[in-house]
Amino acid sequence: MADAAQTPAWKAKEEQIFETGAGLDIRELYTPEDIAGFDYAQDLGVPGEYPFTRGPYPGMYRERIWTRRFQVGFGTPQDTSDRIGYLAKTGANGFVITIDLPTSYGFDSDDPIARGEVGVTGVAISTLEDMETLYSATSPDSVSYALSIRPPVSAVTLAMLSCVAEKRGIPLDRVVGTQQNDPLYQMSGGPLQTHIQFFPLDGILRLTIDNIEHISTKMPRLNWMVTNGYNLRETGVNAVQDGAFSLSHAFDVFRKCQERGLDVNVFARRASFFLSCSIDFFEEIAKYRAMRRLYAKTMQERFGATNPECWRMRFSVQSAGNTLTTQQPQVNIIRAAMECLSAVFGGAQSVHLSSYDEGLGLPTEESSRINLRTQQVIAYETGVTKTVDPLGGSYYLEDLTNRLQEAIAAKMMEVEERGGLTECVRTGWLETEINEARYKNQRDLDQNRRPLIGVNRYRIPPEEEIPIKIHKIKASEWGERRGDYLRRYREERDPVAWAEAMTRIENAWKDGANMVPVLMDALKHKVTMGECHDAMRAAQGFSFRKGGR
Amino acid sequence: MAARKRVLLAKMGLDCHDTGIVTVAQMMRENGYEVIYMGLHNYAEEVVATAIAEDVDLIGVSFLSGQHETQTRDLLVAMKQADLAVPVMCGGIIPPDDAEELKRMGVADVIEPGTLTPDLVARISAILS
Repeated sequence: MADAAQTPAWKAKEEQIFETGAGLDIRELYTPEDIAGFDYAQDLGVPGEYPFTRGPYPGMYRERIWTRRFQVGFGTPQDTSDRIGYLAKTGANGFVITIDLPTSYGFDSDDPIARGEVGVTGVAISTLEDMETLYSATSPDSVSYALSIRPPVSAVTLAMLSCVAEKRGIPLDRVVGTQQNDPLYQMSGGPLQTHIQFFPLDGILRLTIDNIEHISTKMPRLNWMVTNGYNLRETGVNAVQDGAFSLSHAFDVFRKCQERGLDVNVFARRASFFLSCSIDFFEEIAKYRAMRRLYAKTMQERFGATNPECWRMRFSVQSAGNTLTTQQPQVNIIRAAMECLSAVFGGAQSVHLSSYDEGLGLPTEESSRINLRTQQVIAYETGVTKTVDPLGGSYYLEDLTNRLQEAIAAKMMEVEERGGLTECVRTGWLETEINEARYKNQRDLDQNRRPLIGVNRYRIPPEEEIPIKIHKIKASEWGERRGDYLRRYREERDPVAWAEAMTRIENAWKDGANMVPVLMDALKHKVTMGECHDAMRAAQGFSFRKGGR
Repeated sequence: MAARKRVLLAKMGLDCHDTGIVTVAQMMRENGYEVIYMGLHNYAEEVVATAIAEDVDLIGVSFLSGQHETQTRDLLVAMKQADLAVPVMCGGIIPPDDAEELKRMGVADVIEPGTLTPDLVARISAILS
């Protein structure tokens, strides 16, 4: 045995852990034996056909390169609209519009609870006029917006979007975009408290289905996002939990749609997922492929979908913010590029990269531009788009796809046995799973089990850090401007018509009507976002305000 | 044996990113602290009232959505009004210039993401000694 002291440092074998991020074993070499019994037609098949392992569409990126989404949203609707107008000219062809936290919870910009938060994490939307302003440089039938939002608020923004289209003479069946509609994971995937502090859970779930009904019967070109797996993954769960909880949640929502009497062959056509792409390169690719197979199988076998469009799982991707570091932030550009490549090999329909300044502040124009450029290099320079599923048939990837599929299916069974995903959220089981994953991640970092460059190895002293531009927040300025605006908006409306519209919301809620058309009517009478929520809360006998706030 | 130090952790404002604070709570418990975690959406007055009722040695608050200055200022004002003088520690996504500003306002330390547990524990015991 060689004496360690005699082995020069450069020759010493580095200690490595041969498992995936989710803890699946990785062997030294993969051979045909690892995929014995592999049936090309059954396991892979043609891209765009069941079971969609090789991708949801024939031709994939040869037909259409993924949508390179640009994240935008700050300050007032006019600030954001101006920025969208500019970006549309510089090569972004889709937008993720982030909204501020008060709007995310259905509060108007002038609500006392919004102090210091208006326009900070995204744009503030309180009125129908705000949504019209957001579309002042674009049209809802030509430019795709994906609003980062969730029920109950997404019922109001969907009503706003419908009103904007109506007002511009655009038939609802021509409106494009993505309606995010995840009732459980949107608010950073966090604890149950996130969802129920300001609105009852049953009410949130009802509006989720109201939105789906409105979209699938009236807005056939509008995508709707069923699961925000990105925010869920950001809590720290692994790829297997990510796949399982994302799919289980979607199937729970689909089941509720069927209970409402909606036809799976109609409502599931435009359902889509928003997923994270983490740093474990092959495991993420295998995750997407395994999820597509499980989705196709479940939609066909359990939901009885006969429309092949409803077997096809489509998803947009954001590269994982939680793999980025505050230390040596420039290195994050490399991480995001690797994650982007992984998402592309996994067959994503749309990609948005987390910014290198993620650990220091909100993205700047400069860091957002680098995200777009990274994607453009991969799309136009590397040649990876020129054939479909270039890694298909790799012994390792096919074996890993099979193993991920098995592990995800087993975890889904566990959720099923506990009464489905919504029940798992209600009982706190999901939160326990998330917390255990969080503690494990920290211990892995502390014990150097998971290398993180700049954090547990290859660190530099703070004075050697290269300074980067940091996003400046103008919370008080934005808050004042929005406060003045809303005061005028309320003064200029007909108080009788407003009060009647508020009453109609309460009555419709109690009658169990679909709320979207009712909210459209209210918005036209200048009921604000916050007031829509007040009326819906009142109808449920729910209150949360304390200490006069 | 000295009594275990008691720490109050809370999220304030509308921000709901809780991975960091929940993890910090657990790592501190594993390192001998008694931790009371208040959860999300707390007002300054509630944090102060709980800190007094629980007789804590340190208050820790975490922000990842840009509300650190507004909320921390509220907290420090409420502490002053209640005549509560325990050290305050912040964590989360806080730009370096803002971290300096928070320290000028009286915050004892600002813990950045990527802080490993031994370092976290060392910084907390430095505040408490």
